[in-house]
This record gives sequence, structure tokens and C-alpha cells, in this order.
Amino acid sequence: MNIVSDEVFRWFLTLAVGVVAGIWFILDARALFRTFGQPTTPHLSDRRFGYMMGILIGAVGVIGTLRYQHVF
Amino acid sequence: MAVSSVAGEALPPVATPARVVSPWNPANAVTASRFLTLPPFFWAVDHGYRQWATLFMLVCGLLDKVDGLAARVFDCRSPFGEVFDAITDGICYGFGLIVVAAYGWAPPIAVALVIGLGLANTGMRFVYASRAGRTVNYKSYAMERIVGYTGYLIGFATGGMEVSLFFWAFVPIMTIIILHDAKRMLVDPIPPPKAA
Repeated sequence: MNIVSDEVFRWFLTLAVGVVAGIWFILDARALFRTFGQPTTPHLSDRRFGYMMGILIGAVGVIGTLRYQHVF
Repeated sequence: MAVSSVAGEALPPVATPARVVSPWNPANAVTASRFLTLPPFFWAVDHGYRQWATLFMLVCGLLDKVDGLAARVFDCRSPFGEVFDAITDGICYGFGLIVVAAYGWAPPIAVALVIGLGLANTGMRFVYASRAGRTVNYKSYAMERIVGYTGYLIGFATGGMEVSLFFWAFVPIMTIIILHDAKRMLVDPIPPPKAA
């Protein structure tokens, strides 16, 4: 019992993961870049670490989406 | 600032009572409503309806965003609400992960590791609250991101999308984040509560 066709579902997953992961990657990379030059505090260190993990997670999401679409 | 009485002597400053937010508020109601998605999710997995299972977990994840919005709109944010939200995350995602692993939609060993790491994180949060001596939710930028990834994990399993890659990539990232946060939760000084 499907809601939509398999092809539509496949593209829904591709967009829901690939687009979100890509945007996540870009936003966290930009946020991390903006912290450069600021005086380091424990709070800023936590933010930087969070942004780095966000970049990593975003990259995994993009790679997984490309693999799902048999790009490589 | 001291206040002068009629007789002229200084009176002690009047303390502003902390604002008390009832736990029976719209934001917590939205959070609790996430549990309603779990029975239909189980039904969908049990019947092999992958798209329906994905939909119910998607609704559960979206409600997680709506409760924060409701808290802001109705001005009912509270430490209890934050902790309730975190506990609900753990129950909903833990339930979802166990179900997809039990039905062979996700690698059981990876799921066991994910749940084990989640439980370790929950235990450290309790230690953190115990050290603080009050209901307080530990905040971490990295943990916020991995929680988002956790919500997606179940969707990868129900959708059959690169399941092995996404589950096995999750484990080392979560491990790094928990090791990083462990020091802050167990050792570092706890910030004082915000003024009401």
C-alpha cells in the first residue's frame, strides 16, 4: 500500500536528504568561517565544534544521496 | 534598589518572583502528541508499508520542530519542557530504531551501538542535572546536529536509502560528540541559571 509511486518516493527521499544536507553543509561551513578571528571562549569552542560536526554530517548526507542516485 | 518607607528608613529590595510555567502548556502538549505517531509507525513497519512508516516518522520529527515554535508563540518555555522534549526524542527515536532493526530494515549491531551511545548521553545528562541541583537541559551545538541526524536515520531505514552507509557513518560521529560533551557534562563548571 503506497502513498505515491516508487519513483516519486525515491525522488522525495533524494530531495529531502540531499537538499537539507547540502544546505546544512553550506550554512555550518559559513558559520564556522565567521568564527575565525573571534576571541576563543568555551562557548565559542562549543559552537565551532558543533559547526564542524554539522559540516561532517552534511557531507555524509550529500555523499549518501549521490550514492543512492548511483552517481558513484 | 532600596525603597524608602514613609518613616524614611530604607526597606530591602523587593524580589521579583521567578515566573512559573505550568507543565500543562501547549508546547508540552505538542511534544506529548509525538507519542501518537508511534503505534501507526509500528503498524506500517509490521505490514511492510515503507512509505507510511516514513510518513509517520516524518510527522514525529516535524512535531519536534512545532513544539519549539509553540513554546515561543505561547511564551511557555521552561526547563521542564526542554527536558521533556529531550526525553521524548529519546523514546520516539529509540522506539523507531528498535522497530526497524527488529524487522531487518537496519543493521542491528549499528542500531545497538546508536542506542547504547544515546543511553550513555542520557545518563550523563542526569549527572549534569544532579550536579546542577535543578532541572536543567545540557545544551550542545554538536548534539543538536546529531539529534537531527538521528531523526533521519529511521527515515533512511524505512525508505531503504543507503542504510549501511548512513548507520555506520553515524556511530563514529556520535562517539566523537559524546566524548567531547562528556567533559563538559561531568567535569566543567555548570553555568548559573538565567535570571527570571
